[in-house]
Amino acid sequence: MMRLLRASAAVVSSRAVTPLVIGFFFLLYIGIAFFTDETLISLMAFTRRSVVLAALLALIPLNYACRIVRGAVKQRAVHRIFAGKSADYRSELFDETVELCVTPSFRTLEMRLISEGYKTRRSEATLAAWRGIGIFPARMLYLAATFCLFAGILVSITTRTSHRQMVIEGEPLPMADGSGGRVERIILANATGAILSRTLTMEVAPSNAGHGKRIFGLYPPSLYGGAFVYPRYLGLALLLHFYAPDMPAGYEKRCILNCYPPGKEASEVIPGSPYRIVFSIPEPAAGSDRYLSYMAENRVLRFKLLKGNDVLFTGSAPGGGEFAQDGYRLAFPEIRRLVVTDYIGDYGVLFIWAAALFFAAAVFIWLPIRAFWPRREMLFMSAGDVTRACSRAEGGARRHAGVFHEALDLVAAGQKQPEEADKTLSL
Amino acid sequence: MPTTIIETSGLTKNYGDICALKPIDLLVPEGEWLSVMGHSGSGKSTLMNLVGGLDRPTSGALRVGGEDLLALSEDGLARFRREFVGIIFQQHHLVPYLTAVENVMLAQYFHSVPDEAEARSALERVGLGHRLKNRPGELSGGEQQRVCIARAIINSPKLLLGDEPTGNLDHKSTVMVMELLKELRAEERFTVIMVTHNQEVASWGDRTIHLDDGVLVREERMSA
Amino acid sequence: MVAVKFIPQILAWIGIVLVLLRGFPGRRSLVTAASIAGFTLGVAGTVILFRSFSGTTPFGVIKSALGVNFLVLWGFAVTVLYRSSGQGMTNWWEKFFGSSLCAGGGALLAGVMAGAVSACRFPGADATAVALLLLVLVAGVLALEALAVENMLPASLTVTPAGLLSIVVSLLLLSASSLLRLDLFSPLSMKVMKGIHDFVHQFMESILVPDHLFVRSVVWKYIGFLFGKEVGFWGGIIIWFTPALLITLAVGSQRLPSVAHIRQGAQRRKLLSDALRSRRLQMVMPLCSLAVFAAAAYQSSFPSVEYWDPKPVAVTANQSGEIFIPKQGEIDLLDGKLHKYLFKQGGREVRFFVLQNPAGQLTVDLDACAICKPDGYGQAEGSVICYYCKTLIPLETVGKPGGCNPVPVHFTEKADGVAIDSVTLINSWDTTVKVTARGKEGGK
Repeated sequence: MMRLLRASAAVVSSRAVTPLVIGFFFLLYIGIAFFTDETLISLMAFTRRSVVLAALLALIPLNYACRIVRGAVKQRAVHRIFAGKSADYRSELFDETVELCVTPSFRTLEMRLISEGYKTRRSEATLAAWRGIGIFPARMLYLAATFCLFAGILVSITTRTSHRQMVIEGEPLPMADGSGGRVERIILANATGAILSRTLTMEVAPSNAGHGKRIFGLYPPSLYGGAFVYPRYLGLALLLHFYAPDMPAGYEKRCILNCYPPGKEASEVIPGSPYRIVFSIPEPAAGSDRYLSYMAENRVLRFKLLKGNDVLFTGSAPGGGEFAQDGYRLAFPEIRRLVVTDYIGDYGVLFIWAAALFFAAAVFIWLPIRAFWPRREMLFMSAGDVTRACSRAEGGARRHAGVFHEALDLVAAGQKQPEEADKTLSL
Repeated sequence: MPTTIIETSGLTKNYGDICALKPIDLLVPEGEWLSVMGHSGSGKSTLMNLVGGLDRPTSGALRVGGEDLLALSEDGLARFRREFVGIIFQQHHLVPYLTAVENVMLAQYFHSVPDEAEARSALERVGLGHRLKNRPGELSGGEQQRVCIARAIINSPKLLLGDEPTGNLDHKSTVMVMELLKELRAEERFTVIMVTHNQEVASWGDRTIHLDDGVLVREERMSA
Repeated sequence: MVAVKFIPQILAWIGIVLVLLRGFPGRRSLVTAASIAGFTLGVAGTVILFRSFSGTTPFGVIKSALGVNFLVLWGFAVTVLYRSSGQGMTNWWEKFFGSSLCAGGGALLAGVMAGAVSACRFPGADATAVALLLLVLVAGVLALEALAVENMLPASLTVTPAGLLSIVVSLLLLSASSLLRLDLFSPLSMKVMKGIHDFVHQFMESILVPDHLFVRSVVWKYIGFLFGKEVGFWGGIIIWFTPALLITLAVGSQRLPSVAHIRQGAQRRKLLSDALRSRRLQMVMPLCSLAVFAAAAYQSSFPSVEYWDPKPVAVTANQSGEIFIPKQGEIDLLDGKLHKYLFKQGGREVRFFVLQNPAGQLTVDLDACAICKPDGYGQAEGSVICYYCKTLIPLETVGKPGGCNPVPVHFTEKADGVAIDSVTLINSWDTTVKVTARGKEGGK
């Protein structure tokens, strides 16, 4: 049973798992591409619906989790060996291992290694030498980042929910249980940052369900009621009053107009009539901000009244205003700001953001260490007539190997004193 | 019974009409220090060049370290020189803009791959551990020659050739260099062929041969 | 002139046999015989395919086989890279690669693929028995010549199994890229373009990136690159070259032998130097395969095929808004060639063409498709090619909507010509071009 467990652990933590799983999904992608143009979406849908595919994808974060554990165990083992707390060295922990049938003078060897720039720790039967900084933290961060990335992808693909709602200024924030607070203000403003040109802020009052006052921005989007509030598009909520000669009673409707950027048209059909009204935002003056009308308090709506396919007339009116012509009357008592918002239920996003942070931290730590201070270690252990020597290097391996081999030559040669040779041969 | 490392039979070398070396038969056992003496133009450097694979004989047989040098191609000779022979010249021929350790690493580079730690060890062995980063211009004559020795032995040659290595040195430096060579020979067990016109230098060897106009005229064993 | 067309195939074949001989030293006769046999089988198989299936199916089969080869190379490249940086790996598969089974089987497969690609130079009815026999004979002679040439190569120039696979696959793809219907690089670029568009879009949706109206135009310009055509080309280049690069990297990062047990410095360095030299020489083949891949990509991007692409003829509409194009006259619509026209009205321009497909039916289509930017179409080798994405559309399918097919336009076929409604034509063009323009520039 233990052997089976160990074998399973070895398989799951193998470096081959990730490329194999990714390769499988890649082949699946290619196969799907023969049948549809929406290849990626189809693959994601299959994975979401199929337990087998989801389980296969789950192997990757599982693999990285196992590799984190294995890496930590290995690092601990090496640390204990170099600290002299363990003699259980295994050749797979080191780049080179060798045994010599000599009893060396560690003092001479220690002086030699110190002159080469190594720090040393010497005891009766061991000599450890090292220099540089280990990349273990960076490696753990990298493994953690990859774990988070694939865990996030898995969670996102299998559990993501998305609901599109209209967030209207002055109305309660739309929630499934109706517990959203009132949207007090929607503010679109110019930004000064390097990436975003505009900021969008939605101020929501405290709700009866216990949510406090909230201010939602653009990025990162905030959580509300377990879902990310993800603003997508701008629009207007219009209260329309329409009167026609053949509709003297008039018609009132609250319309949702997805009419930004200016020039985009949104149409409203008057039910039970041949009338259709096409709304748009007038183009701003050349050189001015295209979203000025959204930022400003007063906005004018342009419209086109159609009867069937015939355009009866066009016109415009501000919020609170009206337009009348030929017995037709259009009034816009209210024009309020609106944000088309997606409520995204997806905790995988948090994992992916964490992965980005971990990757950045890993690179930030790894790069300078690898370039300037790579870790190089060697260990000599004497037991009776046999001296065992091991060496490992995380960078600068050739140079370190040269020092290691010279040290071995010194050990094999016995009590050679380089400083005595200097004394006899100097002029 | 030591094996023979150098074996010549009827070895000659002509430079055009000039006969630099007349037929020479020579046997050198492994590990011997052979001094070659003679006046200027007697053919001693020619003999050394032939034995070291730096030149090709006109006729005769020449086996060094079991290899028939006449049968080797240019590439083969180059490999033989790289792996089998170390040479110390009178004029040093150190690269002036490289440090002592870099000069030794240069020899490693042409042999295989450079290894700074090994080069440092070699310079420490010849007593220059404190002069690693100095350029040849910053070293005395004796120190320069010691760098040459380190460079010559870094690739563990079986045969060390010296062409008047102490010709530019004073007596004290000469003695120092000779003592170093003797010590290294005892450790590394290479064969030494030393060309010199100096009797005192020649007396450091196990055997001396005298050349005159390309002919081996005399041979004498040195007392221990 | 026919022989000149075969130059890529000839060069590729010689190269394949050469590297196979070098890759399996000591099995020269087996490799030579198996490769020639494979070539013959490949040619025969292709002839049978063309006789059994019509249209583009035979090309599709061979193209798929080439695609599988490329995928296998990818898998191999990733595997060797992983193994090169591991410790204590077993080498049972290296024993397999040294066996006669692998040598013979590999040479046979390579020969089959090379023969199949070469035989595609004679599609369908052009394949006379004499021509095919001559092809096989020439291949045999070239293989024997390669046998002689291989002896002259320096013995130190060895090749690893991965390097061998890389160069063989690259030569096969070079050979295929000279044939429009077997070319992999252009369709790969197009699929990569679509894939990257989808991936970036999904990724940005996944991590809830704000819509482009909130993002600075300078930043969006860079993001917009990921939605352009060039990303397909560069993404295709990366996918194209990566296996050879991975193999080169794997060879370069092979562990050097441990020399810690040797006490003589010169001996240690000699061993290391020999290992380094051997490693460097083993990198020659994968690096050569990079050059061959580059040549294949170049040949794919700049094919030596001349497309039939006539200058559009200007047409006008009559008072009722109908455009009439006679079947016969200065231009013969029934000649099976693409005939392009240009219609201008109210500041708007529409390009369209009329074509008689192999079934004898006339079809009127926009000189643009619903996916790509309207760079237009050319005609070559029984298909039309989209200049934007280099997709080949068989003539039989022109007139049917979907994919990269030109957008069909409703028309009326009369006894003496075709009639097209100008309003329909203009609306169709406006819709198509606007969609493609928005798709390429708008991103999300």
